[in-house]
Amino acid sequence: MVRLITHNLLACHARGCTSNNFPLRFSDAQIETRKADFNADFIRAFMPKLEWSALVDAAKQLGDTSLPLEAPDMLDEEFLKNLHRVLLEIHIEEGSMTCPNCNHRYPISNGIPNMLLAEDEIA
Amino acid sequence: MSHQYLIVFAQAHNEFRLPELSSVSELHGFTYTLADGSDPQRPFMVIHLASEEHARLLARRCILIKAIYQFYGQGSTYKELHEANRANRALWESYIPKTSFKFIVTAYNHSIPQRRQREVIESFAYMDFLGKIDMNDPEILLGCFEEYPDKHGTTRVKHEGDGSFLQVYFGKLIEEGSARQLIGQFDVKKRVYYGNTSMESEISLLMTNQTLAAPGKLIYDPFMGTGSMAYPAAYFGAFVFGSDIDGRQMRGKGKPPGIIRAAKQYGVAARILDLCTFDVTQNPWRCGELFDAIVTDPPYGVRAGAKRLGRKRELSPERRAKYLEHRKSPRPDDQPYIPPTKPYELSALAADLVILARYLLKPGGRLVFFLPTVMDDYQEVDINSMMCSGMELIANSLQDFGSWGRRLVTIRKTSTVKYPPPSFSPEEAVTSEHVPAHKDFREKYFRGFRTDAPHDNYETAGSVPHYPIHD
Repeated sequence: MVRLITHNLLACHARGCTSNNFPLRFSDAQIETRKADFNADFIRAFMPKLEWSALVDAAKQLGDTSLPLEAPDMLDEEFLKNLHRVLLEIHIEEGSMTCPNCNHRYPISNGIPNMLLAEDEIA
Repeated sequence: MSHQYLIVFAQAHNEFRLPELSSVSELHGFTYTLADGSDPQRPFMVIHLASEEHARLLARRCILIKAIYQFYGQGSTYKELHEANRANRALWESYIPKTSFKFIVTAYNHSIPQRRQREVIESFAYMDFLGKIDMNDPEILLGCFEEYPDKHGTTRVKHEGDGSFLQVYFGKLIEEGSARQLIGQFDVKKRVYYGNTSMESEISLLMTNQTLAAPGKLIYDPFMGTGSMAYPAAYFGAFVFGSDIDGRQMRGKGKPPGIIRAAKQYGVAARILDLCTFDVTQNPWRCGELFDAIVTDPPYGVRAGAKRLGRKRELSPERRAKYLEHRKSPRPDDQPYIPPTKPYELSALAADLVILARYLLKPGGRLVFFLPTVMDDYQEVDINSMMCSGMELIANSLQDFGSWGRRLVTIRKTSTVKYPPPSFSPEEAVTSEHVPAHKDFREKYFRGFRTDAPHDNYETAGSVPHYPIHD
């Protein structure tokens, strides 16, 4: 759990933290890889939603450097399969995600990130 | 060229039949029309479809379809039925020479004595089928269905009123409904992980069909709980994302989390995309237009009340200062900080959910959720008052429990405008003079839906546990 597709969609949402609040930084990440069904249409349709450089950085932080620095224009099968693997098959089971702006630490336990805010952080 | 098909429905959830037919046909990209005089409240319904393949698709996905037949005729008497059937000779004459067949005669709300079943079969002798009768493996199955009025609650002798049916239908079986067996497959009692608010499998499946779940779709449940809707959605091929303010519901005890264990049981764990703990009114989504559907059964306060972050009563300035100081320099032996929560009133939650869905859904995406309501007080405007521009109500089906019920609401995002993230502040709430029947549902429930009982306020309403609970 906490796959990179999820990581790419989560931003720090503490009150007043509106800029430089994405992507969250992993620390002490324990990684597992698990197979997921490949659906080329899903990956292709999801491409426009991705923040590409954030994904590349996150993958690199976890030791995966297979993604190109720029998202390619031509999406061939090999690229989509690799993107599928990075987005859906790498799971962060333990560790935490930290906001680069306000340093709020979101712990990940048993694969489930705790994104709750403290009472002084809610809008 | 369209053909007529006879649907034999399971006798449950009548109001859910048409929404389900519409959703499943939309999912597969075809349409159906009702034949004249078809009443969705009755167990037999005749519809027009462009091809037999469409009938098969319906039978494989609609939870409420028991079987679907090619329609040969109907009548209020056998004379009428046989006339209609003779007129449709073109539909069945190719089976005359050598097709093996089986003939069934059954009734709804009645049992036909065997002697008369034989008479009925013999009355079709003019069809002149020459193939052999094969009770075990026939090439075609012909079905004749008599529909009787509901005699529930009256005492009568066996077979009384035999032959005085409302209507009789006749056709050839296309396909038995194969989706109904999923009700047993997803039975909560056989699930390795569930909670006291888990949704029964038949309703979860009906909800899932309303979402148009299919491979490659992304579906979100913002009140995930024990994941009841996630399993059928993932089973139909969708990726599911779940969040809940209370992670304990999703985790349960042990490893991996309870929802993942149950998903593994159904072979769909790889499609539970992720589970996150957060308050949906304080959500971390980086952008909108992410999901094809949002499906949820929001807690409405009887078994479990909805919560959002915040305090029921704000801290005094002194205590707040102390709290902030403590947050800045926590002691090493502190328990992990658990943020306080306050109740989230149902009508506010429902209106917020619609606004949230407008932000998070892709254009054309669907929001599917249950809304409990007080039967005597419900008005259509209850639903309309929580709608906002860009969202359109497409189905609203009641499940009736007597003095209260719950409505399965399906809303489509019709707008292609990009909306800003909702703030969920009271100032931005959909303001309406109208007080819907589901407002303060919890208090009304515990008062037994009487209007004369003293009015409890929200904080103390939980202290009257003697009313039968069946939510």
